Amino acid sequence: MNDHIQEEHATTKEIPSAPDVESPLRERRKHPRISETPPVPAPPPRLEDYAPIIGQAYIDELRYLAQRLRDKSLKMVNSTAVGGGVAEILSQLIPLMNELGVSTKWEVITGGNDFFEVTKGFHNALHGGEYNLTKDAKEIFLHYNEQNRRRMEFVEDFVVIHDPQPVGLIASKQNTRGKWIWRCHIDLSNPHPDVWGFLRPMVEQYDATIFSSPAFARQLSIPQYLFYPCIDALSEKNKELDDSYLDKVCDDFGIDRKRPIVTQISRFDRLKDPVGVIQAYKLAKKYVDCQLVLAGGGASDDPEGAVVLKEVEDEAGSDPDIIILNLPPWSALEINALQRVSTIVVQKSIKEGFGLTVAEALWKNKPVIASAVGGIPTQIVHKLTGVLVHSVEGTAYQMRYLLTHPEFAACLGRNGHEHVKENFLLTSNVRRWLTLFQVLLGTGHLSGPGQT
Amino acid sequence: MATAQLPSAKLQRWAKSPFYFNTAANLVRIEREQARSLGELLEGLHTCPDDSIFQHTFRTLQEHHFIREGFSNDFAHWAFESCNEVGLAERLASLDIREFTSISKLREHIIAIVENYLKTNSRARERAAMEPFYFCASDTIVIPTTIVARNLQEFSDGLEKVSLNSIHYHFIDARLRLKLNSNDFSVWLDQEMDMGPLADRLNRVDIYTATLQDVRRQIVRDIQFAM
Repeated sequence: MNDHIQEEHATTKEIPSAPDVESPLRERRKHPRISETPPVPAPPPRLEDYAPIIGQAYIDELRYLAQRLRDKSLKMVNSTAVGGGVAEILSQLIPLMNELGVSTKWEVITGGNDFFEVTKGFHNALHGGEYNLTKDAKEIFLHYNEQNRRRMEFVEDFVVIHDPQPVGLIASKQNTRGKWIWRCHIDLSNPHPDVWGFLRPMVEQYDATIFSSPAFARQLSIPQYLFYPCIDALSEKNKELDDSYLDKVCDDFGIDRKRPIVTQISRFDRLKDPVGVIQAYKLAKKYVDCQLVLAGGGASDDPEGAVVLKEVEDEAGSDPDIIILNLPPWSALEINALQRVSTIVVQKSIKEGFGLTVAEALWKNKPVIASAVGGIPTQIVHKLTGVLVHSVEGTAYQMRYLLTHPEFAACLGRNGHEHVKENFLLTSNVRRWLTLFQVLLGTGHLSGPGQT
Repeated sequence: MATAQLPSAKLQRWAKSPFYFNTAANLVRIEREQARSLGELLEGLHTCPDDSIFQHTFRTLQEHHFIREGFSNDFAHWAFESCNEVGLAERLASLDIREFTSISKLREHIIAIVENYLKTNSRARERAAMEPFYFCASDTIVIPTTIVARNLQEFSDGLEKVSLNSIHYHFIDARLRLKLNSNDFSVWLDQEMDMGPLADRLNRVDIYTATLQDVRRQIVRDIQFAM
């Protein structure tokens, strides 16, 4: 994809004029063809399907690891069956664990609107937001946890509770034989003290916790482990695509594949700074020719998203090379294609969780420019697996630099792909789970540095 | 008409005892210590468990095995990226883990680098880092594979089949286990195959200017050349 990148140094060449956008493309940009119905979901991949991606040796290692857990059982519990990152992770993970011989079940807690209102408040408060923790809120939280606890059985060897909503199920631990693990997917670096003070005694009854970044963790009396969030290389969003499909998507959205494409994929949210991306593009465009694609969702069902989309459109003005796509939630294949046709991918967030869109782009060998916030510095080692930026101006400079230094950009892309392969794939997390269970059981051959 | 060549004597040689390929699975544990300045890093370096020193040197090299261009250890990376102490970062980055056969010696060496730097740059001791250094540690599980080598050809085949985790385990981590400036492959070639020169050659393969995949290729090339 980098063959169309200009090789000259941006600072020494004449400012190129943007080629005239041909009228059919211009028309298409005004009326992009966006799919109106969700596609039929594909069956989950089998373990062997990953062998061409990570190598047979890694698949064999997962089998060796799982052999020691063949008579063990596992239950995963969370609060939603569909929608949201945790449900997506579990739907991918559980078939693979079962295929490896670790009998794995997934249960979802239930609750009324009052419960989910309280847990939404807790969620925001744990991210550092303001919250008034009332006696009622505590009672509602404990009531539904207790109701679910009485309904559920915990006979498994390992019980994994995801996120704060079901954390109170730990009250069942004393009557069970299993090891209990709390998997926290959210950033607890700056939690509301009252809410964390309420949850912490429950958390510390677990045998272990798991966080997505050392920066997201708290100081606790129980062991804490690091599991990076992961992407599935065989999902619709990340699998390989035919070039003809990439052409079709570009045609549908009015994107010119012959010219450089800079893309940010994220919902229309101020925290993703889409306006800042346009400002950076405008600065870079003084020196290098490129198109800017801003693709995401959230503007149709979220009033604030619609406001942000309007701000983005206003900032874009009449520039024919800025392509704004408000996509429906079932656009995984289109997003995959947009990332694959991009020359550079940008993630200029102001605040971020782990920021897995970065891993998605790195997996596709793309040079990524991203803000040094949340989990992004874990994915981007500056100038080795991507570049980190802190401002609009920095983003603009890196756009110019990468568009005019294709060999360096390609090197970042290659390293980024390997970084994801090593650390951020679903199969890496399968390995982490299998390792964790053995560490907790004290089985397997545990080795410290220097021990055999 | 082509005549089949007789295999070389080295190819026919059988090991006194076979080489069993193992591999390792690692889990990162988040420790309680954090450092918000170089002074705090120094304190943490004195008190953190051996598993932490191992994680931030040996393991982090494994996690970034695909980078040729200058990733060495987490301490150097943090000194550069979060403390902007380029001189210290360079000194820490020059640390070669192959020269250490014990974590305690490696710890002493890192502490000495930081202490010496702070002696001449005392203001850097308390200066707040942009991001804290989070001490982590590594829990490791050793996993036996079914791959066994009884001669040079099987050894070469095994090296091509096993994962890079296995290469790292036998070629790099082994130094701490063996307490020798050597590795499992070289020890086996020397002691079980009486191939000292080949063992020495493998031990000189550079792990810092090559990816782990390159290291594997170089080892296999050296063995095939010896055959």
